Amino acid sequence: MKTALPEDIAEFSAVATKRLVRFGGPQAALQAETDDRLRQDARTALSDLGAFDLDVRSSSDDLLAAAVLCQAVGATALPYPLVEELMAIDGARLALMNPEAPRIDHGDLAGDWIAADLDGTRYRVQPSSRTAARLGPFLVPATLSPPDGTVPAVDVDLHLTLGSWRIVGAVQQCLEITRQHVVTRMQFGKPLAEFQAVRFTVADAAVAARGLHELAKYTISRIESVPAQVRSADALILRLKAGETARQVLRTAHQLLGALGFCDESDVSVLDRHTQSLIRLPVSTEMLAMRLLPGIRDGGFETLFSGPVSA
Amino acid sequence: MDYDLGTDAVELRKRLRDLISTHIPEGFLGACTNDPKDLATTESFCKMLASDGLLALAWPKEHGGGGGSVWQQTVLREEMWAHHEPRGAQYMGINWVGPALMRYGTAEQKARHMSAIAAGEVIWCQGFSEPEAGTDLASLRTRAVPDGDGWRITGQKVWTSYAQMASWCVLAACTDPNAPKANRLSLFLVPMDRTGITVRPIRSMLGPHHLNEVFLDGVEVFPDEVLGELGDGWRVMREALAFERVGIARYARCESLLDRMQSELGDNWDELPESIRTRWVRALIDLRVARLLAYRAVSLQDDPSAGAAASAARIATTTCDQQVAELLFDVLGPTALDSGSSAALHGAVEDHWRYAQAATVASGTIEVQRMLVARETLGAHG
Repeated sequence: MKTALPEDIAEFSAVATKRLVRFGGPQAALQAETDDRLRQDARTALSDLGAFDLDVRSSSDDLLAAAVLCQAVGATALPYPLVEELMAIDGARLALMNPEAPRIDHGDLAGDWIAADLDGTRYRVQPSSRTAARLGPFLVPATLSPPDGTVPAVDVDLHLTLGSWRIVGAVQQCLEITRQHVVTRMQFGKPLAEFQAVRFTVADAAVAARGLHELAKYTISRIESVPAQVRSADALILRLKAGETARQVLRTAHQLLGALGFCDESDVSVLDRHTQSLIRLPVSTEMLAMRLLPGIRDGGFETLFSGPVSA
Repeated sequence: MDYDLGTDAVELRKRLRDLISTHIPEGFLGACTNDPKDLATTESFCKMLASDGLLALAWPKEHGGGGGSVWQQTVLREEMWAHHEPRGAQYMGINWVGPALMRYGTAEQKARHMSAIAAGEVIWCQGFSEPEAGTDLASLRTRAVPDGDGWRITGQKVWTSYAQMASWCVLAACTDPNAPKANRLSLFLVPMDRTGITVRPIRSMLGPHHLNEVFLDGVEVFPDEVLGELGDGWRVMREALAFERVGIARYARCESLLDRMQSELGDNWDELPESIRTRWVRALIDLRVARLLAYRAVSLQDDPSAGAAASAARIATTTCDQQVAELLFDVLGPTALDSGSSAALHGAVEDHWRYAQAATVASGTIEVQRMLVARETLGAHG
């Protein structure tokens, strides 16, 4: 068993993070809310990193590289629909959505879009315009055509999984910002990090973030080797855990940063607002849990005891 | 990156499940019950494991062990705990007393104890905690006063698991009250039938044998019974406990209980309230995460970050234990408190709930684990 990322992927992850930080990090994302040029520049930064040469559907190395790139995108709140473009079908970006309330993140960007729901039903889409929302500022309401065929189930699974890696990046970055804050912020004559209540809260968030990262690595490492039913459950499991971990860690970050964390000059505020679209969409974590129920009965949700002896 | 435990580990899991289904009676809930047959089951099972080289699987072959890989050891931990630890109290001798002897024991001590532990012939207990020193073990008060060539030990130990059934104890005592805290303690390998040792069981919600008091009244110990250097007990104790750093594979029993409960419910599982079923989903997710955190800690081995990784794994797995205990009680509703062989899963659910209450206390409290994770994340403030 090897639980660490391969060296070349870890190196690519470091390079990608450095490049996207140089692009401007969450503060560039904030600027992009009012300046569309930033989103095109974000695409250029991704292109410089070779993002659009990655073939996530047929190369496991490319998929892993895409995962850590998504992680870097999440950590910097890069304002670009990377997952949707990596999962494009015939040149049209693929958006996952809930047909009851279709929304596309960055749906106002030029180019073709198609949409799919979690059952893999495919739709043509007509995006409208942005609504200047505080939460999910790049979300665009859309109109769907009647069902128009299907997309492969594996595409839905890859989409959910790569989106989860974006959440992993955001979670880790929020934890890091929180860490930096509590070791430097003085209250009652000492750093916040010397108060046990603060230390325990950070420890719980750190355990949650570590657990999510391990789950993300595990999920992506076997996405091509497990049966389709198990792969789909794996993707739902990861997305559910990513959403709930993000809620916990963001809550911790806000609580420990105090009023500062609500201000857009703090990256926590930007990361929170910009990650909400991944945490809440295409469906809530409660709906994800509901979708996992059949897997518990039919063995799709693999455990140590769900079938013949497995690793 | 791959999460394959390896063919040898997977084969071991199959073999252990076969052995357990053949030799462990249905409804077995471990050695700590009022039925002496359960202790006898563990004794015979340990001897069988020993004869197959599986009891001391983790030990090097030169010490009578099986030389198993860390992933085989992981599987052994999972399967044993999932099936109510059919090694009984012997896991303590295997998991840390033996490894501590390998590192610190004299040739005579190794010759005397190692083969007996590997053969499944002896139960050890751990005389560490005291009424005034639980987590803060460096503050132990039990005194070893020089007497002739050796010492006489007087004091009291508490929470000592298996003390009634153990034939040997690793006993911590203060040999120099004036030394710096880190150099006050020494460890002694003491037979439990030595004059001056009295064991009193403590009635508890955990069940029999889990908790005992051990009174030490001028117990005579000898120089050849010191484990490691005199005054070095605190370091030996910490390093010995680190052999168990990943801790019990509690997630494995939780997954097993949920699987067995689902089988028992059959189609009625679908009739459970939706809120219960979605909690079930979340419990299984959290158990998967706990298992992966444990695997991460194992894979780090001697890496300096392994300690915090193990603490993270412990926090995850012990909280899962309690989460699953509450979930299963809510599944059972009005029959949750029933116990014994006629209760759900032959009483395993009720047994699990009781034992899970100690999960975040035993072998290093969750507060200590949080302190260790915080130390790695935030540095040594506070």
